[in-house]
Amino acid sequence: MTHTIVNRSPPKRSVAPVFWLLFGAGGMLSALFGPALIILTGVMLPQGWGLPANFADFPHVLAFARHPLGKLVALAVIALFFWHGAERIFLTLKDMRAGRLPLLRLMTYGVAALLTLVTIALLLAIGF
Amino acid sequence: MSERRPFHRPQPRYWWAHKPYLAYTLRELSGVAVALYGAILLAGLVCLWRGPAAFGAYRQALASNWSLLVHLVLLAVVLWHVVSWFQILPKTMPKLILRGRVVPPRQVTAIGLLFALVCSAGLLFVVIVIGALS
Repeated sequence: MTHTIVNRSPPKRSVAPVFWLLFGAGGMLSALFGPALIILTGVMLPQGWGLPANFADFPHVLAFARHPLGKLVALAVIALFFWHGAERIFLTLKDMRAGRLPLLRLMTYGVAALLTLVTIALLLAIGF
Repeated sequence: MSERRPFHRPQPRYWWAHKPYLAYTLRELSGVAVALYGAILLAGLVCLWRGPAAFGAYRQALASNWSLLVHLVLLAVVLWHVVSWFQILPKTMPKLILRGRVVPPRQVTAIGLLFALVCSAGLLFVVIVIGALS
């Protein structure tokens, strides 16, 4: 008589798909709109090329950040870009065997999570 | 009883800095540029929250030549991210089958790149039109 050992406990669930999803969302968002965003906020607006001088002054940007849609755009861009970078840096450091995994996770996912919370707090503090 | 002793091929410590892995390392490093740009935007949000004086200082910093140089470098790296992102897309997504035929990976990459061009150019166009009308 032979016995087969069957593992009856359900397979352990991994949290990796959550990070993978955030990585993918940030990667797609930055691939589709990243170049335009950098040209806008880093080149055109500061240098005053192609846009009115008061386009990004304090009242206008404040109005953008106070609008619910503006808040959503700001949160999506900032947080997802952080999560995208965090996943890539984590996997690369892991492959480089740069350190213990909990430490690497703290340095990448931990920072992304913290900065996401900071972004949410700032957007709420700026008001509606 | 025999103990399993598999052979481990020795791997140099800095394997990621050599071909053919260097391309992979450089592609993954583009994530640093994406996160760095997110940090620049977050700094702007902090200054916005602190008030008009802080936000004015932020705008002044962004208008400097150093900032322009940093953004041009970020733009170059992110453009490389765009290209590599759609190059690996056919490998990460399920096979795309249209009318019983598998869409070749090159075509998926081309469509993705075209879509990215439309999105980025569209966003710039919309913002320039809003600026002209305001």
